[in-house]
Amino acid sequence: MAYVATRGGERAIEQSERLFKQELGTITPAKVKQVRETMPYLVDRVMGEASLYDRDVAALALAQTGGELSEAVLLLRAWRTTQPRISVAKPLEQDELHVFRRISAAFKDIPGGQLLGPSLDYAHRLLATEVLSGEDYTPEPVDAAEKAAPSHQPSVSAWLSSQGLVDDADHDDTAPDDIPDLTREPLLFPAKRAHRLQSLARADSGGVLALGYSAMRGYGQAHPTVSELRLTEAEIEVRHPCGTSFSAGRVKVSQAEVVSKAKGERLERGFAATFGWNEVKCISAATLDLNADGAEKNSAVEEEFFLYHTEGVESSGFCIHFKLPHYVTFQSSLDAMRDAKAKKQTPQMEAAE
Amino acid sequence: MADQQSRHAFVLATLARGDDADIKQFAEQLLESMGEVEVINNRTGLVMLPMRDTVEGTAFHLGEVLVAEAHIKALGQDGYGMKTGRDLEVAMAIAVIDAAWQAGHEISTIDEFVNTQAEMIAANDNERMRAVEATRVNMETF
Repeated sequence: MAYVATRGGERAIEQSERLFKQELGTITPAKVKQVRETMPYLVDRVMGEASLYDRDVAALALAQTGGELSEAVLLLRAWRTTQPRISVAKPLEQDELHVFRRISAAFKDIPGGQLLGPSLDYAHRLLATEVLSGEDYTPEPVDAAEKAAPSHQPSVSAWLSSQGLVDDADHDDTAPDDIPDLTREPLLFPAKRAHRLQSLARADSGGVLALGYSAMRGYGQAHPTVSELRLTEAEIEVRHPCGTSFSAGRVKVSQAEVVSKAKGERLERGFAATFGWNEVKCISAATLDLNADGAEKNSAVEEEFFLYHTEGVESSGFCIHFKLPHYVTFQSSLDAMRDAKAKKQTPQMEAAE
Repeated sequence: MADQQSRHAFVLATLARGDDADIKQFAEQLLESMGEVEVINNRTGLVMLPMRDTVEGTAFHLGEVLVAEAHIKALGQDGYGMKTGRDLEVAMAIAVIDAAWQAGHEISTIDEFVNTQAEMIAANDNERMRAVEATRVNMETF
């Protein structure tokens, strides 16, 4: 790849950036707060893809880029590198998550029951156009139950294991500091499971959906059924200098486990989780995980294919680089084309003479 | 010892989820009688958050959480505060309260403050989970 050095664009570049920012207007703390409070699911999506959890910083990135998601995620990934890593928290366990929604499409009667939580799954998709005519739209309040739902729920996977329907999960006793980390080591194939799941956690939601959907439509080897979908809040368990382990607060985490029809005596499963509440991403990513082992080379469900192509910063960056000056490479293609054309015409002219 | 450590964890966790303005104000009051405070660290940074996968039990990284951290020496104790977000002042306030609590300085006032904060947090959590309970599916009625 070669670029040609040019002069004369500095003013245009400066004004172009100014024009982009001018059209967005002044970014105020109030505007950032409004983005954070009115679009929590968008903020969640950006935090997941940036693999950086902070609602204020994510809302700022959205406000500063006018909601251009690739730019917002890039901004956050870049900003993240300015911050020191203080520690690695204790790994999250299923029975310690605070569960706000948990459903199973595969099993009707799961221990702990099914909690729909906040969802539009069964809603009429009606646009509240009256708001555009000057009326407020105030949603109906929830008729809260007398008794609160238990904060913690047993996982469906533990129940499946107790029923002998799935292989027991090994207990991975890797120390938190030794867990493989994609942000500090290269992604090599076949990928470590920790790398695959980390990569899916920070993958582009749309990319994961597109490839996961291709598997769901039949281009994969296994059709998913949601064994358990969870929207949760997780405690960030860190250590005091004197050794006390304590929670520094909560973050939203979503996860999905999908199952395929049994091929032998056990159900096959796929798993994915991400920062924020993002169900579509988790189900799609879990479907890719379910289909990955033994997948055909270069198919959409093959690990190397989907991990490389759902990395949002790399893919959007590669895409947008094509609009940057390619004058040298393209000029050389034109030269070759003109040369071929000239050579083709020369014998004809000689023959005519 | 275990009880003391578990109460310590409760104090720190409660302050991490408590009301920022209340915590700052309370720490200001405590500081007046605490003598010299040495600040070792007061910064924002990242805590990597791992999770265990339900299929193979593999621990993997979900991503990093932005936190504010404060580490001080006061009353002969390591006062420490960490809270999600980027509010350095509240992290410092937590560290101040923590140092005082460990030193047994105005312990009953601190315990009372922490318990009040914990009650507010629990009431809010309870309200949210009552709303969640309203969404429980009763399969018998299908």
